[in-house]
Amino acid sequence: MLEAHSYLLGENAIVIALNTDKPSPSEQRRLFALTISLQHSSAFIDIVPAKASVTAYLAEPAQYNYWLKKAMLLWEESEEVAFDVKTHHIEAIYGGKDGPDLEDVALRLNMSAKQVVHMHSEYTYQVEFLGFLPGFAYLGSLPEHLQLPRKVTPRKQVPKGSVAIAEDLSAIYPSSSPGGWHLLARCNNTLFDPTLTPPSLFAPGDKVKFIPHKEGLC
Amino acid sequence: MLRVIKSGVLASFQDIGRFGYRHYGVCRSGALDPFAVCLANILLDNPPHLGVIEVTIGLCEFEFTQPCNFALTGACLNAKLAGKAIYPGWRYYANKGDTLSFATSAHAQRAYLSVQGGFELDPVLSSYATDLQASFGGLQGRALQSGDVLHFQNTQNKLAPLGVKQPEYKKQVRVLKGPHCDKLPQGSFERFINNHWRVSEASNRMGCRLSSDKPLAHDVSVATQAVHPGVIQVPPSGEPIVLLNDCQTTGGYPILATVIDADIRMFSQLGANQHCNFVECDLAHARKASDKLSAHLAQFTLAKNNN
Repeated sequence: MLEAHSYLLGENAIVIALNTDKPSPSEQRRLFALTISLQHSSAFIDIVPAKASVTAYLAEPAQYNYWLKKAMLLWEESEEVAFDVKTHHIEAIYGGKDGPDLEDVALRLNMSAKQVVHMHSEYTYQVEFLGFLPGFAYLGSLPEHLQLPRKVTPRKQVPKGSVAIAEDLSAIYPSSSPGGWHLLARCNNTLFDPTLTPPSLFAPGDKVKFIPHKEGLC
Repeated sequence: MLRVIKSGVLASFQDIGRFGYRHYGVCRSGALDPFAVCLANILLDNPPHLGVIEVTIGLCEFEFTQPCNFALTGACLNAKLAGKAIYPGWRYYANKGDTLSFATSAHAQRAYLSVQGGFELDPVLSSYATDLQASFGGLQGRALQSGDVLHFQNTQNKLAPLGVKQPEYKKQVRVLKGPHCDKLPQGSFERFINNHWRVSEASNRMGCRLSSDKPLAHDVSVATQAVHPGVIQVPPSGEPIVLLNDCQTTGGYPILATVIDADIRMFSQLGANQHCNFVECDLAHARKASDKLSAHLAQFTLAKNNN
């Protein structure tokens, strides 16, 4: 059975999509490998990985037929090669005013706040993809024991640098914005600065580990 | 300099958009009618992709503090130069002290204003476009405000008046069938084509929201994937959203259709409570329509240089 397919979205977007919405870690690593092999070509103006797909925007739409086939060949050849990934260590102040939902999350999960902090910071996350806001990285996957649905009523203003969780993901808000995730902590890192090259601290595939800061719960 | 006397509803610097940064979550931004940006620049012998002012709705006023050749494209928002009506698709000459004002129109939403030599702007992430959500690009990452002073090169000579025919803005939009039609309830795409849609008041530069008394409600979920301007998503409510330039880079609603590239510009002029409808198109005709727009620019450039 085929595990992926390709199609043209609009006039210039080549989409390589897995036949599942919930890729295995191995499939996800192959998607990153595919992203990198597509980046080696100069045919694309943008290459955007997502949960279970990679979309590559052609500079020259007339080449779509060639790339629909070629991208599938690249997918089939893509292996879970260990490529160079950056690991980011992010100091996070858990609880209190920096993580206003920590106590509530602990209560709902039947854990102590300390256990939540321990579990959230013990794990190494991977940037699955970026979206929502510039520099907003979806970090997967959150340990199953920490998974909760989004908040029923989103906050009108989530402070910049907030470390949050929802469903099977964690994230850091790169700028203040409305948001429905549970806020566990806050960090002082700049996640997005349009004057820097690259503008985003995180790139798809990067690893992220949180280090509890002594100013907060640890 | 061009002084902003009244900023109106929304006026911002835009160009044809920001490319190459979507994997960091950076949206395209840029003019809702990129074709009008190119025309406005070519009218003044500027490179076609310089930053221009996108005027939304109107009700704004500018003062030229130095003589200036400028061009106006997009739709007619009943603009006046020193009290005299001026029209889109033309270049004009302003004397020092002249006022340029925009009224409004019941039928149109956006006009584009360029100056000879271009405005003095620093590109951010390779574009002059203002990212209004993330607050960067254009002028300090924000919409124009009254009191702003916009710099540009001194005009050397008064250029002769020159006009160009602009392609029509239509309320019928051509679309390609989307990838999730098989997952949506049977006949969703056909109903989308057969319905008449009303533009909702909640529409903005991120997306044009459509409503109808026969929405396309569903309970289909798809994995989040990359989306871009022109993609038509259907949330469970069944009221489709045509994504526009400020849309997010990824989306999790099923994709019913995509607007052909040549027709995305129609949404620059569709205002709240106006109606529009969609017709199916194939890829070959979609490409032909884009080529036709490119040919229009090329022919105009050629004709202008030969005269």
